[in-house]
Amino acid sequence: MSTATATSTKRTIVERLTKSWLYIGLIGIGVVSFVRIVTDTDDLTGAGTIRAAIIATCPILAAALGGLWAERAGVVNIGLEGQMILGTWGAAFFTYHYGPWVGIIGAAILGLVGGLLHAIATVTFGVDHIVSGVAINLIGAGAATYLAEAVFPDYEGGGPRQLNGLEAPTQITIPGVSDLAKDVADRHWFFVSDVASFIQALTTNISSLSLVMFALVVVSAVVLWRTSFGLRLRSCGENPQAAETLGVNVYLYKYIAVLISGALAGIGGGFLALVSSSGFSTGQTGGRGYIGLAAMIFGNWRPGGLLAGALTFGYTDSLRLRDTQSVHALLLLVALGLLAFAAFRAVRKQVRGALVVAVIGVVVMVWFLATDSVPREFTVMTPYITTLFVLALGAQRLRMPAADGKSYRRGSAG
Amino acid sequence: MRRLTKLSAVAAVAALALAGCGGSDSEGGGGDKPAASDDVCKTADGDGPKIGLAYDVGGRGDQSFNDSAYAGLEKAVTDFDATCIEGEATDGEAESAREDRLRNMAENGATAIIGVGFAYSESVNAVAPDFPEVNFAVIDGFDPDETANDNVAYLGFAEEQGSFLVGVAAAEKSKSGTIGFVGGVNNDLIQKFEAGYTAGAKAANPDIKVEVAYIQESDLAGFGDPAGGKAAATGEFDKGADVVYHAAGGSGSGVFDAAVEAGEGNYAIGVDSDQYLTATDAQKPFILTSMLKRVDTATYDFAKSIDEGKALVSYTVYDLKADGVGYSKSGGFVDDIAADIDGYKDKIIGGEIKVPTKP
Repeated sequence: MSTATATSTKRTIVERLTKSWLYIGLIGIGVVSFVRIVTDTDDLTGAGTIRAAIIATCPILAAALGGLWAERAGVVNIGLEGQMILGTWGAAFFTYHYGPWVGIIGAAILGLVGGLLHAIATVTFGVDHIVSGVAINLIGAGAATYLAEAVFPDYEGGGPRQLNGLEAPTQITIPGVSDLAKDVADRHWFFVSDVASFIQALTTNISSLSLVMFALVVVSAVVLWRTSFGLRLRSCGENPQAAETLGVNVYLYKYIAVLISGALAGIGGGFLALVSSSGFSTGQTGGRGYIGLAAMIFGNWRPGGLLAGALTFGYTDSLRLRDTQSVHALLLLVALGLLAFAAFRAVRKQVRGALVVAVIGVVVMVWFLATDSVPREFTVMTPYITTLFVLALGAQRLRMPAADGKSYRRGSAG
Repeated sequence: MRRLTKLSAVAAVAALALAGCGGSDSEGGGGDKPAASDDVCKTADGDGPKIGLAYDVGGRGDQSFNDSAYAGLEKAVTDFDATCIEGEATDGEAESAREDRLRNMAENGATAIIGVGFAYSESVNAVAPDFPEVNFAVIDGFDPDETANDNVAYLGFAEEQGSFLVGVAAAEKSKSGTIGFVGGVNNDLIQKFEAGYTAGAKAANPDIKVEVAYIQESDLAGFGDPAGGKAAATGEFDKGADVVYHAAGGSGSGVFDAAVEAGEGNYAIGVDSDQYLTATDAQKPFILTSMLKRVDTATYDFAKSIDEGKALVSYTVYDLKADGVGYSKSGGFVDDIAADIDGYKDKIIGGEIKVPTKP
């Protein structure tokens, strides 16, 4: 009897959630489509933009996921950037010799080595997590530069600072669907064409590695929140002493988490070297590891949140790179989004919050109406500001794992 | 604990094995290509002038700007029996680090010091007065204050003239009537490239449309971001451009990738050095031409002036007339329009065409 009730409540929750997400998604597409037509910027939902957005998102997403794994086990991994850099080198080296898929594994292994260093320092020796992380970033950058200079000059297409012409992982095109979607997308209809260009982007020349990246988000979510392994791992981040009293080997779980974290960051680096461009070059990560870490924090240490953060950043970044004019259209989108959010809060009777958001929304709206374009200096900041806005408003109460960043010694449960 | 020790031991062994792999490869696979360690400054022991070469971010091996300076240095070392010291900037370093590098070279006996890149302008200005007997040069440099330094040479290039020529090539080769430009950082220097390119394209085809994108507004990381270069260039190809010129340093390889993905009939144009020569086999059929900036000539000339005892000072501009800029013909893609391009070249040299430096 009681089990039956439990299942039915569970089902209704699931139904409610999927329903509300469905509505939000539909309204979202509608608003974007409206903005596209009003401002006459077809690039806003063009298949090319979405494609570029996916490519820009993936490395950040990988780093963010890496951060999630480590921090859920209570280890702050600020060394994601360094592990990512190691990953770019690993991908280049192994792809050159054995092809792209071994290259990805190589990227993961190099990132994992970075993670191992971090785990040894923080878990075994109890070094401050930030200090160790900063060291990993320095070591990662230095090691990759050194290794590149030592190995790549003799390779075909290589030099002391780069290795170009690497083979990319397979690209997938679904023939019939792709052409049909392109046909519909090119008509620029309201709503329908936006969905079509999204489908077009997903079915035309999409890198299989991108699909793997998005699958990894789901896998991480399931493993961390739906398995007993994940529960134990997260318990090490919430209250390692309690976990210890229940017989969890906290050191082991932290090691596993940080190793996976490093490997994921490494894969992110591999993506940069193999999919985002066709080669390794020093300094190509450009701080994407830090951005991933930030996306994870503002995504409230949750897979869905970090996915939203990485997507927002990737989308706005590729938008401003492709067309500075479309950034102006983005203002209208942001304004409408803020106003909608204000209405949502007003319905929930959070009057003060609703007012604040509404005022910001009106200001952005006025900005949009009063100008024809956004100053160039501002366009570079759009990805940062938009992501901050979206995530700060989306998650009002951030809660990090309770024992995150704290040093834990075996036996301290007493 | 013991298990952990074991684990780390395994990792250490793996790391060593890995490093071993790398080492043997670099020695075993090395054909006749010079490795990075083959450095003329380590072997030179002549009694000519001692030249200090301070590289910009990217350093030797960037297959572009810095390598070109090195080529000039190499030639100077052989011709004048010179010796040399090198130093290299790191990404995001402080101004004081540049000054220290220059001071170090001066204190180690260098009599001619060349800062590669405009970023050395300020630091040379700060260091030069302290070493009146040493001659400095800044490539792409400018004097940041009112007081002139009588021991500093500013070696500039007429990038807009070279860009004008590749702009002509782009416009004549474009079938769609739209061409593109990708700049690394939106500063005065890169704007010269854009201005010349647009002017050249409009001269050849007044109706041409030029799409312009910059990877960064002020952050120098825009010169080392292939992913950003590819995204920006792909955006321009999507908008109908079929020739895209880049002035984005290391980000340029992403621009070439974008041209490869855009497929046959689309081209990219390289910058600074003949990038057809360093491109991968997949990229080669898509590199129309390159705007050449003879940093090697400038470096060599400065060393020569020191050797002759008539050190260059103040501003020197290497333009089309002085063969300081130009375009490359590797690959043979522009052979059929070379006469046209050279016609414009003569007009620029003759002063008939004035190329703008601001877009």
